[in-house]
Amino acid sequence: MKSKADVVIIGGGVSGCSLAYNLARAGIDVVVLEKKYLSSGATGACGAGIRQQWSTKENATLAIKSVKIFEKLSKELGEDIDLRQGGYLIIIHDDKGMKQSEKNVEMQRSLGLKVDILEPKQINDIVPILNVKGMQAIGATFCPTDGHANPFKTTFAYANAAKRHGAKIYTHTSVVDIKLNRNKISEVKTDKEPIKTNTVVNAAGVWSKEIAEMIGVKLPNIPFRKEIMVTERLKPMFEAMVISFKDGIYFSQQMEGQIIGGIPIPEERSGYKIIPTFSFMKHMSKTLTRYAPVLKHVNMLRHWTGFYDVTPDARPILGEINGVKGFIQCNGFSGHGFMLSPMVTKLLSDFIVEGKSSDILESLNLDRYKDKKIVKEVSVVG
Amino acid sequence: MRVNGIPNVRTCIAPLKNDIKVEIQGKYANLPDAKFKENPVKTIDIDILVVGAGPAGMCASIEAANQGAKVLLVDENPCVGGQLIKQTHKFFGSKHEKAGTRGIQIAKDLENELKELEKKGEVTVLLDSTVIGYYEGKGKKYKFGVLKRYGYEGILHEIDCKSVIFAVGAMENMLLFPGNDLPGVYGAGAVQTLMNVYGVKPGDKVIMVGAGNVGLIVSYQLLQAGIQVDRVVEAVPIIGGYHVHAAKLRRCGVPIYTSYSIKEVYGDGKVEGAVVVKLDKNWQPVKGSEEKVDCDTICLAVGLTPSTRLLSQVGVEMEFVPEAGGFVALHNNSMQTTVKGVYVAGDSSGIEEASTAMIEGKIAGVSAALQLSYDKKAKTLKKQYIAELERLRDGPFGEKPRVAKNKIKKLLEKKHV
Repeated sequence: MKSKADVVIIGGGVSGCSLAYNLARAGIDVVVLEKKYLSSGATGACGAGIRQQWSTKENATLAIKSVKIFEKLSKELGEDIDLRQGGYLIIIHDDKGMKQSEKNVEMQRSLGLKVDILEPKQINDIVPILNVKGMQAIGATFCPTDGHANPFKTTFAYANAAKRHGAKIYTHTSVVDIKLNRNKISEVKTDKEPIKTNTVVNAAGVWSKEIAEMIGVKLPNIPFRKEIMVTERLKPMFEAMVISFKDGIYFSQQMEGQIIGGIPIPEERSGYKIIPTFSFMKHMSKTLTRYAPVLKHVNMLRHWTGFYDVTPDARPILGEINGVKGFIQCNGFSGHGFMLSPMVTKLLSDFIVEGKSSDILESLNLDRYKDKKIVKEVSVVG
Repeated sequence: MRVNGIPNVRTCIAPLKNDIKVEIQGKYANLPDAKFKENPVKTIDIDILVVGAGPAGMCASIEAANQGAKVLLVDENPCVGGQLIKQTHKFFGSKHEKAGTRGIQIAKDLENELKELEKKGEVTVLLDSTVIGYYEGKGKKYKFGVLKRYGYEGILHEIDCKSVIFAVGAMENMLLFPGNDLPGVYGAGAVQTLMNVYGVKPGDKVIMVGAGNVGLIVSYQLLQAGIQVDRVVEAVPIIGGYHVHAAKLRRCGVPIYTSYSIKEVYGDGKVEGAVVVKLDKNWQPVKGSEEKVDCDTICLAVGLTPSTRLLSQVGVEMEFVPEAGGFVALHNNSMQTTVKGVYVAGDSSGIEEASTAMIEGKIAGVSAALQLSYDKKAKTLKKQYIAELERLRDGPFGEKPRVAKNKIKKLLEKKHV
């Protein structure tokens, strides 16, 4: 194991690996520490959606720029990440939803995004199996460049490219402590050997809170168990991800034919529990077959859980902690880490390499919670 | 396959009925067009859930119910009995454990005992039912999902139980060689099912791979069914099964080749022959020893691996114990795993035999009932069963399971001092 590095990234999910790639490519001596294996946390459990239709300008900007990167990523990294841009179809159920959607679309269009508000009768043009009446849909928004990619392939493609640029990735290595010297990061202690460094990036997903506590920094992140399922394979029927902010459901058909989707169970509370619930199975099949009644008779094959690392405004915590030099956050993605990772890690890399900050990084610093008027991201599912 | 408009039906295990429409569906299924009956989820609240109605599971259910516990016995097959219903040979071992009786008869006896208990409402048996998963339970109860099949449809059951006994058996091992996916390459279990349960000849000329008890017994059963067994090949230098089974085969003129294995199987769309090869002491093929043998069936009897997926889902501690056949749940002599109230019995606790599986089942059943305070001389019975199990393993052929169970015991002690 290396005994020192310019930057130590804690967490081998998509964020940690893509940041390692961006840093290593810029010539930085970077180490990734992962307590299990790459993509073993939220990345490997996620629904793999890539969405640009957000309610806050920061998220929309990060997502739009991320899609630009995703579109070229297979070529850039030299490995196929299975990107498919089949669009996101967001179902609108009532006037309140319509008002919010109109506001969102206006903001999204101001950022140059192509997004449309659809009439109920147009919904089946995008996804023929949906039951407009059953969903109680009064409309929908659709952005054709949204889509999904394979989170495992993306993470490993980033990790392999990072290694080619000299990054070292140590899996099955836990961080046990972080040492400070006069409020500056000085060393990371692992369950193996220690590493001297002046910069630590906390990209540990739902465990970021524990990492921050090692040096007395309190993060407001809360862990939420989220459940997701996959059905048996069916002939290709639709390419869009269908979501509803009201019902919390999301589902899409993958290229191999299976339908992957999730929904929060009504009784869910925060915590680190990972065991699946029977309630999810009932709730998911009930809602999914209300949206697409033709899926009755189709079996759910597997069902698993992952975590959302949820912040009070459902937006990530990024950048350096004031008062702890070299302690950089890349967490709190609240269920949207995969889709935002390309751009987020590029901004963080620019900050680490050149000391260059940006409006987005500033607005997503932990310090925003000192201000009572935080803007909450409302376009959340799962 | 598609049956009556329902896609993705596993027709190899689906019941055959008059007037059903069976179609080939190709790689991707078309959407279902059958009418869907809205069957609400059924809930069952029970003392003890027993998973698997083979020898271990049946005995566990009977013992636990005799102590007064309410038992739910679940099995994915259309009838109880597990592997016993294919075992047309007489059993060895202890008199207590039905030595001298044929497996099929033991299954019938146990089924009758279960039926009596069912009549009294002590035991409920759910057949054609698969335990599909373990879920977050309420309080101290365990929650499982069970899908019961009715024809080509299913009803989901939500099971809450205070205790669970896994008697889920084992899976057959596969060998890697070119052509192992050709139709005509079977596991010994499948051959037994076809012959002894459904009365279907699997082929006309068989090469048996493996000279353990399963390989020897199934070879003899093939002869009884009028099927030619060309030879038995066995990779290790000795015959692993009982001498009496091997001798019976030799008297019928079937050669047993030790230190031999299958190199490849060939054929156009189905098995037409195999290349057998001699192995040296490092298990490597001896050059020039290859021999082409015409046959239409390859039967693999190369061991079993404990079925442990539900156990690992529950989160019991597992260890790799080669003598037990692979990963097994650590358990004590009450057959309890490292999670309180979760028991294991039979092959899923380490590969052994039906006779020991039955006693393990009894121990698990009595222990689980006792833990829930059902006690009709339970302690005395438990002691008696544990002694019986030790006696049964005492012979030279009990050596491997003895080693396995001792390892499991030591691993458990090491972890829980």
